Amino acid sequence: MVLVAAVRDYINRMLQDISGMKVLILDSSTVSSVSVVYSQSELLKKEVFLVELVDSIAMSKESMSHLKAVYFLRPTSENIQHMRRQLAKPRFGEYHLFFSNILKDTQLHMLADSDEHEVVQQLQEFYADFVALDAYHFTLNMAANHMYMLPAVVDPSGLQQFCDRIVDGISAVFLALKRRPIVRYSRTSDIAKRIAHEASKLMYQQESGLFDFRRTEVSPLLLIIDRRDDPVTALLNQWTYQAMVHELIGIQDNKVNLKNVGKLPKDQQEVVLSSEQDAFFKANMYENFGDIGMNIKKMVDDFQQVAKSNQNIQTIEDMAKFVDNYPEYRKMQGNVSKHVTLVTEMSKIVEERKLMLVSQTEQELACNGGQGAAFEAVTNLLNNDNISDVDRLRLVMLYALRYEKESPVQLMQLFNKLASRSPKYKPGLVQFLLKQAGVDKRTGDLYGNRDLLNIARNMARGLKGVENVYTQHQPLLFQTMENITRGRLRDVDYPYVGNHFQQARPQEVVIFVVGGTTYEESRSVALQNSTNSGIRFILGGSSLLNSKRFLKDLEEAQRIARISTNML
Amino acid sequence: MASRNRTLVFRKYRDALRSVRIPAGSSPSTSSGHGSGPVIELATTSLLNPNRSYAPLSTEDPGTSSNGTVTVGLPPAWVDLSDEITANVQRVQTKMSELAKAHAKALMPSFGDGKEDQHRIEALTHEITDLLKRSEKKLQRLSAAGPSEDSNVRKNVQRSLATDLQSLSMELRRKQSTYLKRLQQQKEGPDGVDLEMNLNGSHSKRDDDDLDDLGFNEHQMAKLKKSEAFTVEREREIQQVVESVNDLAQIMKDLSVLVIDQGTIVDRIDHNIQNVVSTVEDGLKQLKKAERSQKQGGMVMCATVLVIMCFIMLVLLILKEIIF
Repeated sequence: MVLVAAVRDYINRMLQDISGMKVLILDSSTVSSVSVVYSQSELLKKEVFLVELVDSIAMSKESMSHLKAVYFLRPTSENIQHMRRQLAKPRFGEYHLFFSNILKDTQLHMLADSDEHEVVQQLQEFYADFVALDAYHFTLNMAANHMYMLPAVVDPSGLQQFCDRIVDGISAVFLALKRRPIVRYSRTSDIAKRIAHEASKLMYQQESGLFDFRRTEVSPLLLIIDRRDDPVTALLNQWTYQAMVHELIGIQDNKVNLKNVGKLPKDQQEVVLSSEQDAFFKANMYENFGDIGMNIKKMVDDFQQVAKSNQNIQTIEDMAKFVDNYPEYRKMQGNVSKHVTLVTEMSKIVEERKLMLVSQTEQELACNGGQGAAFEAVTNLLNNDNISDVDRLRLVMLYALRYEKESPVQLMQLFNKLASRSPKYKPGLVQFLLKQAGVDKRTGDLYGNRDLLNIARNMARGLKGVENVYTQHQPLLFQTMENITRGRLRDVDYPYVGNHFQQARPQEVVIFVVGGTTYEESRSVALQNSTNSGIRFILGGSSLLNSKRFLKDLEEAQRIARISTNML
Repeated sequence: MASRNRTLVFRKYRDALRSVRIPAGSSPSTSSGHGSGPVIELATTSLLNPNRSYAPLSTEDPGTSSNGTVTVGLPPAWVDLSDEITANVQRVQTKMSELAKAHAKALMPSFGDGKEDQHRIEALTHEITDLLKRSEKKLQRLSAAGPSEDSNVRKNVQRSLATDLQSLSMELRRKQSTYLKRLQQQKEGPDGVDLEMNLNGSHSKRDDDDLDDLGFNEHQMAKLKKSEAFTVEREREIQQVVESVNDLAQIMKDLSVLVIDQGTIVDRIDHNIQNVVSTVEDGLKQLKKAERSQKQGGMVMCATVLVIMCFIMLVLLILKEIIF
């Protein structure tokens, strides 16, 4: 609720005082921020009758001076250039400019210089520079996400841009929440350290006036961690509804693109999965596949009952009632067919790729099991012709991450087998992953085998047995959140920036994962928040990962690293 | 939720920068170094000079002005249509509140006939349905052909008005149905009791058979007449309901095409933007294709040939007449 409500509030404030017909002009990142929280029909209620992108609006020359223009852009140099050109030849009656982050003075000067016709009525900064996907989950949708895996020397300016965008996004979140946090970061990650220091500098030195909010007793905490501390979560196959849809089909800004799926009617080719708008989804997004099947069957039965009663029109009153309830009925029908389509498609994919078999081994590799048994299982699956290349790659990666140091001979055998059986496999990718996220590079206890307490906990869990083999994995984030709740987050592993020390538990924590978050982790955060432990967690990342995206980032980083080593 | 208003700072910079630009008007030769400077400065000096009998309005076109704020130009014609529809919507809303009051009054137990109340309710309902129908027809005229920014604005205005009209017609129907239900309850109430009493009466009367035969028949006849009148009235009311259901169903059907289903992909802003981009591009392609095919004009050629043939035949005919 928190993040979504903040962005909605900003948009409401933008539109409320401007009367008359309006046109809303966005850029490619703010269009995502706005689309996930505000619907077209709500915009129409506020008299916004046209929505355009800032680069396409430049192409038309017709003057529409009866419209008032509301711009909501990120303060990038391209956008400032667009604004300058459009202010020089104004097409609309009035111009109201809103920027999603802090404007530099030079940019302000440039805009003032171009406003020769004095059409700008107001210019404000509304800090909605992130995409609020769910109540406690945001993302920055960054395209060049692989940059965090590269050393600084390869592309210093690119890396600086990457860090700047993240710092901008994080500061926007805190400005929207009106808090100034204490910053901690993951010790082994250089980029996390860099971002932590830059964010702290921005909030405490450069713009300390802007961040000077009413101090609460205990400051909130900003924890910056690296995706490479927990690559396992990014590679695993998922079995809870939202995570599974993203893993098998793909969710972008809460939209699912089903155009590649067989023959679907036009209105089902792209669907919206938003917990704010869809009550069934909100109730089921964290349930596992089996339970979802049952709930969908129940929903279909209910719907069939309603449909049958609708066909049974005998009296005038029935007719009147049918016409009254028709919009509701139509909405229900759309919703039912959407969920049925999704689950059908996912079942098909599970069947094709034999994911039940693969996932069982994956979970064993991630959670427990001995090395010998694991090696055998992986070898069998590699020999199985029905398994797809990407699944084979994931299995070997998971094995390598776990048993990196044990039995290198067997590991080598697996590498060779993978290379021989998967023609499209780019050699060395697994080794690259180990170099990036190997046991030496990780902070925290990914497999629960370093810390005595964790070993004991694992043994207890092994003895107790698990409810569901496919969802037994808990992301490392869960442990981190528990440590924060108990006040046991070690300073050695997660040092502070600056001279701040936290005496008591924070009440609000924002965890930012450089390299991207997964829906499994956002589920973990949502479930943790619902336990009323007194701490509210918010999760954010530079992009939204599934195994495909994570592998793509790895490949891209490997390619660039290879090029740069060739050049040196 | 923090925000920062930079308008004052912006205005300060803007004024400062403007004063840097303008004073160069006194020496126009030195200002030729600026890019677009000279054009603006000469215009402003001419405007500033009161001696010249200028008609600056004629040189300005709406939407741009070289001095001061932009004059809001005349909106296109379809805006009048949408204003009319909005005015209708407001009128409907006031009438609906009057209708609600009339319904309440008619439902209250009264000693009078209640016929004027009925008339008033009928009249109001008719007016509202009429207004809704007229607005809906006007709404259809709002659609524009061809993809352009203006047509998107029109489409969105249409959708928003359609949503308003649809919610108003649904409200009207709901009010009507609750009113009718309550009316039926009221009528049935006393009649139900009446019937019961009569039944009991007829039972007791049946015991004393033949003596009261005549009286019994009269009583029955009166009862029959009363229930007949009642049925006729019921039928009339049902007819009314059916009519208004039909009217409003028609409106709803037409409107439902325009109204956005909330929560679907059509309700997403980014989906609509992409559609705009693709339809504008498509439209451009179609236009280009049409232009090309028109130029090649296979049809035009055919038509020309035929016309020439017609002429030739006509000439031959005339010649034939003349010669023979």
